[in-house]
Amino acid sequence: MAERRAKDEQLRAVLAAAGASGSWDWEIATDRLFVDTRFAEVYGLDPAHLADGLPTSNFYSAIHPDDRPRIRIAVAGLLAGAEFFSKEFRVIDPSGNVLWMHGRGQSHWNEADEPVRFTGLLVDVTERKRAEEQLRIAQSAGGIGTFEYSDGFATVSVSHAFCRLLGLHPTDRLPVRTINAVQLEKGEPLIPCGGDAPMVDLLDGTFRIRRGDDGAERWIVRRGEIIRDSIGTGYRLLGAIYDITEAKRQEAELRALNETLEQRVEAAIAERQQAEEDLRQAQKMEAVGQLTGGIAHDFNNLLTIIMGSVDTARRRLDADADPRLRRSLDHAAKGAERAAALTHRLLAFSRRQPLNPRILEVPRLLAGMSDLLTRTITESVAIAIDVPDGLWQIEADPNQLENAILNLAVNARDAMPDGGALTIEARPRTFASAELPDDLRPGDYVAISVIDTGVGMEQATVAKIFDPFFTTKEVGKGTGLGLSMVYGFARQSGGAVTVESRLGIGTSVTLLLPRADALAEHEAAVVAATTEHGNANETILVVEDDDDVRAYTVGVLRELSYRVIEAHDGTSALRLLDKQDQPITLLITDVVMPHMSGNELAQTARERQPGLKVLYTSGYTRDAIMHDGRLDAGVELLAKPFTFEMLAGKVREVLDR
Amino acid sequence: MIPEHVALTELERDALTEIVNIGVSRAASSLRKMIGEQVLLTVPSVEVVSQRRAARLISEREVTDLVAVRQDFSGPFSGRALLIFPETNSLELVRAVTGGELTAEEVLEMEDEALAETGNVILNSCLATMANMLKRSLTMTIPEVLRGNGATLFEVDHGGEEGLVLFLYIDFAVRKRDIRGYIAMLMDIPSLETLKELLDEFIARVVGDDG
Repeated sequence: MAERRAKDEQLRAVLAAAGASGSWDWEIATDRLFVDTRFAEVYGLDPAHLADGLPTSNFYSAIHPDDRPRIRIAVAGLLAGAEFFSKEFRVIDPSGNVLWMHGRGQSHWNEADEPVRFTGLLVDVTERKRAEEQLRIAQSAGGIGTFEYSDGFATVSVSHAFCRLLGLHPTDRLPVRTINAVQLEKGEPLIPCGGDAPMVDLLDGTFRIRRGDDGAERWIVRRGEIIRDSIGTGYRLLGAIYDITEAKRQEAELRALNETLEQRVEAAIAERQQAEEDLRQAQKMEAVGQLTGGIAHDFNNLLTIIMGSVDTARRRLDADADPRLRRSLDHAAKGAERAAALTHRLLAFSRRQPLNPRILEVPRLLAGMSDLLTRTITESVAIAIDVPDGLWQIEADPNQLENAILNLAVNARDAMPDGGALTIEARPRTFASAELPDDLRPGDYVAISVIDTGVGMEQATVAKIFDPFFTTKEVGKGTGLGLSMVYGFARQSGGAVTVESRLGIGTSVTLLLPRADALAEHEAAVVAATTEHGNANETILVVEDDDDVRAYTVGVLRELSYRVIEAHDGTSALRLLDKQDQPITLLITDVVMPHMSGNELAQTARERQPGLKVLYTSGYTRDAIMHDGRLDAGVELLAKPFTFEMLAGKVREVLDR
Repeated sequence: MIPEHVALTELERDALTEIVNIGVSRAASSLRKMIGEQVLLTVPSVEVVSQRRAARLISEREVTDLVAVRQDFSGPFSGRALLIFPETNSLELVRAVTGGELTAEEVLEMEDEALAETGNVILNSCLATMANMLKRSLTMTIPEVLRGNGATLFEVDHGGEEGLVLFLYIDFAVRKRDIRGYIAMLMDIPSLETLKELLDEFIARVVGDDG
């Protein structure tokens, strides 16, 4: 007995040094519990009775009531034949402190495999338990799961958070394969083992997994170390995992946002560049317009002189004159006419052309255009003009209407690079108030449509085509002004423009112009007037600052037998007006003059001589005698350059009105 | 879903784990005597799942085909016990149990026999211990070796009323070889209800007033 006690003392000293908080020896046969002094201290047992042993019920006496059933079941297992005991439970010490103990024990069997003793150690794991609790809270709060794998084992020690991250049933151990099976991509396994054993010391990696429970795809980061603290090649993998799906998603979102940001910035820059381009274009057009207008004014004066002089020379030529001389004069006249046409186009282009609306018959106008259209439109496009008999008349500027139709026809041609059919048709249309395009007044209109079978446009494009400078043509091929001019013309003329277009089918642009009631003036009447002369009773006052133009004009009028007086500016013209014995029949005045404009002169003159007839001449009119681009009612304009016949006809027409 | 009245409480699970641990301890002891080497067998955890879930669970965890030793049991609770290994592990087990003196061919020849014997030791111990601890008696059929996947072993396709599976993980350590396996006990709901009652009785006996 003494020997055993000495041995026990020795053992206890060893155990104490090993950090054990106590040891027990449960004799199953006698149902006695032998504990050491440290065990007794923790449990608050009287040390006096230790030597004789205690009733085994003392084993549970200090165990926290909540843990007691669990421990009773485990001990029952041991007593009935289980080999190992390893449980953690709370013990309440004599001063009321709760200590976490890890009880580790083993049963000892006799030859008949019957358990006879159950021995074990108590180790105070309170601190570890607290650390574990902190770790557990850290893991669940931080969403971090930990794992430990020892080389050669088929299972991995894992935390519950680890299992939850992978969508596996929470447990302390998981087969390696189970863990690696959640991976979506082959490659480095989440838990490397066997042949996959890593050679590096760090376990960093990112893995795409499919969660076991809900099948969700997640991104998991693994961080850890490989610890080679065992003998030989053995190692332990110690690591943590966490879910970075959200971060990945945000990253992707951010990236997408960045990408779209670039796109947005690009779009904004492109828009701005486009706006700058448009502005530049507008400024260019404005500058070109100014320049063109200025040139046209001077040029028209010069052309008036040239054409007038050639005209005069031709008329004075004898019938037996050298035919070569006549031919040369004819050539000069033709050249001047071409120059005049060019100037006219320049003015139209710079929108300095005044509208001179007249009562028109559309069929006649279109018939007159067919030559021009045939020349403008390529042979691969079939042209059809479809106008019914008895179409209503309209009131519009014939030149501008021709321009507009030509413009639309050219657009139609460009929309049919591979050929097609171009139809120009005119139809009567009557609108009730409900169905009016734009803000047209209800009533009768003539609809002139230019229809192609070309590539068509998207609705977004259709919405923009009347914008100034919008063009679908390449830079340099179109001014982007064509349709906006058409639109402006239609609106000025009290009408509208509508567009229908379908990709791959074609485009139809329709000009709606209001029906006119008056009868169309027949140009034949104008032509007939050209031969009419005047007489000396008709006094004409010619005011022109350009001496040559004035001399030519006066010369022509005198040749036509009018009585003519002349002035080089408004002031002297008014003086002449006052001095006259007999009234002035007609005032012919240039519009653009220094000091006093033709308009001012005409107004003053009319105050002094009410009812005075006025004929303006101009190569470039600006707004001096126009409102909204149209001539005021009763105002007559003879555009420079003019020929003998044009002047003769116009003067007669004004005088006879 | 597991019906509420047959789901095991934490304490019932502890008790069942402990009872099975007694069983596998006995089996380990028997195996030690059979092969003269240290054999450690532990059951870390127990759960009750549906047959379908058991099949899925095992298929999720094992990529290879499975080998199982089957024994039917009957008594107050009846059912079918399966000791299941991944097929790759079964030869390992045979080699561990036979001691590595056999050639590969001999191992293959002996595989079923060795498996049946090992399975019999383990399942018998578990079932006998359960019967003993729960103070009831069970009769068992002779062992039979099966091969297949989770679905065939758990007879998921047989239709009819789906039973439940008592699913136990076991860790084997034999001659430094680590072999994982599963013990599955297929039972119908009435059997599981009886088992649960018996476990409660056991707990009441062991825990006494502390319960």
